[in-house]
Amino acid sequence: MLKSKTFVKKTRSGGVMKVVREHYLRDDIWCGSETCTECKQDSPVLQKDVCVESNLCSYPHYLVPDTNVVLHQIDVLENPVIRNVIILQTVLQEVRHRSAPVHKRLKDIIHEKEKHFYTFTNEHHRETFIERQPGESANDRNDRAIRVAVKWYSKHLKTLESGPDGLKVVLLTNDLGNKQKAEENGMVAFKFEEYIKSLLANPELVDLLALSNDDKVTAFTDRNFIHILVLFPEHLPLSRIQVGIKSGSYLQGTFRASRDNYLEATVFVQGDGEDSTEVLIQGLQNLNRAVHQDVVAVQLLPRNQWLAPSSVVLQDDGVAKDDDVEEDEEEKLRLSAAEAARKPTGKVVGIIKRNWRPFCGMLNVSQIKESTRHLFTPADRRVPRIRIETRQASTLAGQRIMVAIDGWPKNSRYPNGHFVRSLGGAGEKETEQEVLLLEHDVPHQAFSQAVLSFLPKMPWAITPEDMAKREDLRHLTVCSVDPPGCTDIDDALHCRELENGNFEVGVHIADVSHFIRPGNALDKEAANRGTTVYLCGKRIDMVPELLSSNLCSLRSNVERLAFSCIWEINHKAEILKTRFTKSVINSKASLTYAEAQMRIDDTNKTDDITQSLRGLNKLAKILKRQRIENGALTLSSLEVRFHMDSETHDPIDLQTKELMETNSMVEEFMLLANISVAQKIYDEFSECALLRKHPAPPPSNYDVLIKAAKSKNVEIHVDSAKALADSLDGAKVESFSYFNTLLRILATRCMMQAVYFCSGMDSDFHHYGLASPIYTHFTSPIRRYSDIIVHRLLAVAIGADSTYPDLMDKHKQSALCNNLNYRHKMAQYAQRASVTFHTQLFFKSRGMLNEEGFVLFVRKNAIIVLIPKFGLEGTVFFDTKDKVSPSLVYDEEGPTLKVEQHTFHIFDRVKVTIGLDDSNIQHQKIRMALTEPSIPGVSVPAPEAEPPTKKQKLDR
Amino acid sequence: MATVQVSEAEKVYILHGIRDDLRVDGRGCEDYRHMEIETDVVSNTDGSAKVTLGHTAVLVGVKAEIGKPRPMIPNEGYLEFFVDCSANATPEFEGRGGEELGTNLSNVLYKVFSNKHSLDLHSLSISPGEHCWVLYVDVLLLQCDGNLYDAISIAIKAALFNTKIPRVNITSDDEGGKEIELSDDPYDCMRVNVENVPCIVTLCKVGHRHVVDATLQEKACSVASLIIAVTHNGTITCSRKVGGGSLDPESIFEMTETGKRVGKALHAPLMKLLQQEESLSKKRVRVGFLC
Repeated sequence: MLKSKTFVKKTRSGGVMKVVREHYLRDDIWCGSETCTECKQDSPVLQKDVCVESNLCSYPHYLVPDTNVVLHQIDVLENPVIRNVIILQTVLQEVRHRSAPVHKRLKDIIHEKEKHFYTFTNEHHRETFIERQPGESANDRNDRAIRVAVKWYSKHLKTLESGPDGLKVVLLTNDLGNKQKAEENGMVAFKFEEYIKSLLANPELVDLLALSNDDKVTAFTDRNFIHILVLFPEHLPLSRIQVGIKSGSYLQGTFRASRDNYLEATVFVQGDGEDSTEVLIQGLQNLNRAVHQDVVAVQLLPRNQWLAPSSVVLQDDGVAKDDDVEEDEEEKLRLSAAEAARKPTGKVVGIIKRNWRPFCGMLNVSQIKESTRHLFTPADRRVPRIRIETRQASTLAGQRIMVAIDGWPKNSRYPNGHFVRSLGGAGEKETEQEVLLLEHDVPHQAFSQAVLSFLPKMPWAITPEDMAKREDLRHLTVCSVDPPGCTDIDDALHCRELENGNFEVGVHIADVSHFIRPGNALDKEAANRGTTVYLCGKRIDMVPELLSSNLCSLRSNVERLAFSCIWEINHKAEILKTRFTKSVINSKASLTYAEAQMRIDDTNKTDDITQSLRGLNKLAKILKRQRIENGALTLSSLEVRFHMDSETHDPIDLQTKELMETNSMVEEFMLLANISVAQKIYDEFSECALLRKHPAPPPSNYDVLIKAAKSKNVEIHVDSAKALADSLDGAKVESFSYFNTLLRILATRCMMQAVYFCSGMDSDFHHYGLASPIYTHFTSPIRRYSDIIVHRLLAVAIGADSTYPDLMDKHKQSALCNNLNYRHKMAQYAQRASVTFHTQLFFKSRGMLNEEGFVLFVRKNAIIVLIPKFGLEGTVFFDTKDKVSPSLVYDEEGPTLKVEQHTFHIFDRVKVTIGLDDSNIQHQKIRMALTEPSIPGVSVPAPEAEPPTKKQKLDR
Repeated sequence: MATVQVSEAEKVYILHGIRDDLRVDGRGCEDYRHMEIETDVVSNTDGSAKVTLGHTAVLVGVKAEIGKPRPMIPNEGYLEFFVDCSANATPEFEGRGGEELGTNLSNVLYKVFSNKHSLDLHSLSISPGEHCWVLYVDVLLLQCDGNLYDAISIAIKAALFNTKIPRVNITSDDEGGKEIELSDDPYDCMRVNVENVPCIVTLCKVGHRHVVDATLQEKACSVASLIIAVTHNGTITCSRKVGGGSLDPESIFEMTETGKRVGKALHAPLMKLLQQEESLSKKRVRVGFLC
């Protein structure tokens, strides 16, 4: 049967268009219930024996939630207790329109077999399709469609012979009108809260409930007050905001709360091109319920009310405050505003888009014992505290939990939220790892069924068709060189001498794009993850393990698909010929850097692999020299490696990573491959090549470096990368061998971030650090999505694969680059956070240590000390809250800091004690205190060397 | 246009019949052939109608679009006509064969509607000088069996009657910018008042008499015809002579009187029929054409 759906919509040019869609109705849509004998379904989803202990419905029943229930209560629906739920198509579609994240979560639930969620396509069912009636709003129509479907189900299931108290369907809705109409029609309908509260066996579900609108007012306002105290100005409606933005009276920007001061924030307003501004917001009223990362509209205050950012650290701590504005604290802010450095100041007038996510943090248990309302302190200091309702406060205390914000009424000091789930005890390794992944927005859930379904079926083997399309390079002596314990091997090398005396060098990269086809769920998931994240002792894969550690990994003595880049190179390491091909290889050995080094150094070995390695090593040295002559920078940062206890996985020792010749050998050829590929894809697709650039830093970035070097009478030239590289090479000070490394560490801090970009959207391609005019990432497709795209581009360029529209769309590609850059940045932060956490664990077990270090930076009230032994950086503060601060004289020119009698310069050698400060369980940190040089009243005595006593006081 | 060959003997037969008020198919001189009207036949138009008259078949679709009003008349909307002579109707229309006829027909339609009485163009104004509704009236000839003008005009009237223009609101903000807002209820729409929309009556001079709704054979016997557009109260909005021959003033006067009489009589049953079909709305069983 055919119906047509007609609707009118506005076109972008302001016209009006009538759209007609054909809508087919069918009579072969089954009910999905196991009990049903009428429907000819293969594998019914809904179970026959539904046992949920509810004191509202004693009979077995299926649940049908309406759209609002799904949207607001998805946390409850995700709970394993809730099963046998019918999701109507109407609901699914509405959810999709209203909230993409909830829709994704709902889809995931539906895919989960144990949940028994069934999608009933009522909109296409002959008996449940309804047309919108005159005078009926779209929402009313959908509500009616839901009721009609419920009615159909109850009638359909009634006809089955399932006894007197047979199966029923229960409509869950929070809309009173809808509920009433349903009951009038003889259906069973409950409010969601009612139903969940009736589940006597599972009282924990009640905490997961989000507060629905009508509850909020009664729950969170003091019932004793008749008139409600309004704390915040009303937000403007979106239409007014849009008008205001158009006319320029409001500005749109991203709200960034200050980390140190909860009453202060900046709004970052993206202007055209370069001119983006920051607007300062101060005071609770002006912040007006905006939360970190929200997109807000701000109104600038008149110039005479502009303020300067305060340097005061204010933390919203202590017990739950009453709902009145703490005026004295705001007063403090005003006074501290200096006359000079005033900045544009404004106030938030409306929220354009909330960017709320579930936040990790801990519960501050209310002091009133019976209270069910508690405050929650997020781990991220920029997020305000959230008020939640829970009955399990005593169990949740001391745990890391996740809380989602439901809303922020204008009469409430804090936003209201609900408990989502517990992550585990605070301070535990598993929990903290989870927290840092969540806080850095690293997607780390297990891969969904939809994603896994696109994996190749095992056992997998290379088919003759694959073989026919690829070059057979199995006979070559290919080997891989990687760090120890590496299972995702994405590159392998070979080198052989040709008859004409030249070398043939091949870089073989895992052919991941063969397995991940554009546009499928696996591809989308990988594109979203962007990169594999390496934490200490854990790896968050970008692609499922089957691919990353098996099928794509170029392990030794198995046949693997590869994408090869093969050069002919002469003895001066000049490239004579470059070609790219899809191939099949069989790696002869998987070596570690150390093993490879040993083979090269062992003059007795003359086998093929060793010969190949020697050839590579020789060429790499020449290549490296050439690169450095061209002005490539060798910078330094200390990377730390933990020795883990094999059983407890606790760090037992840490060590800075050392580099071998073979490291740079592999690196050299990877750089070469990347540059060759970058050139090739750019030549072929000048508009849509995915490249990587590293902009030159503005000269002012180098100020610190130049000043620091000057203090040791060394001059650093920063006019070009070449000049910088040369002067870094020449910078040496007698009797201070570590000086050069320190300088390089400082130079690293001056650099800009390298980013991916689409060649059609940018004109500056230069890679500053590598001194290469063009660069991309090609060599690690297992762990970086950018490489997969580059592989696809290259495959199209050499005619080995077909293209697809998104690949050639520079805007889509640009959007992808933005995501990749974001994910890379977050992955780096997560990695650092993981190292920091493990360092803390290490020091927790070690107690106080006394170590030698160097002053890296000098600040107004502190020095920052680097401990080379641990690659650890820490701050030694000279002013503390509870003590009279010593006399501090800061000289910006040096920069030097004179504390009492002693003057600290940059690069000074000092000795410090290192210990763990766990006074704030959410924000543990390493605390350093000075032991040498000893300054009375400032330094602390060195702890006894052995054994370190754990009980030693941290604060002197 | 589609023509038939008629022999001399046939001509005499037809002429003599008409002289005695008796036509070949049994009609009188002022009678129309059997007519069928169906509205709302094309779902992606805003209004549509199909009319068959004898074997002549015409499909009319009306699309409403937002446009800019004409500079001289800022507070009125306007109509655009386009007549497509499909090669389905007759092989002569193939390629650009139907173009000339199409232009002729649409020129007549412009003429018929270019006056204050036919349609209230003020109601099509949205915001004076800025936005107005433009009704694109597209006529498609499906089959030609004489008397195209009458069939087209009736189909247009029916299609306009059926037209539902989505209701729009103009919201103006303090900054003076104007935004068109659509009502989100698809049933919330504006109708066109078609009461005064004229119908065309074509009178064919055959011998000394004239006939209404001439067949192709009768047309072949005629030298000239007169087109008269008549509203329901007898106002003539347009009259025009077509065909190679000439007409003397006396017969023009006579033919005009007949046209008025026939035209006035045509409107009432047409409106009744259209309203009847409208009242069926959803219950209407769709049969036949394009269903």
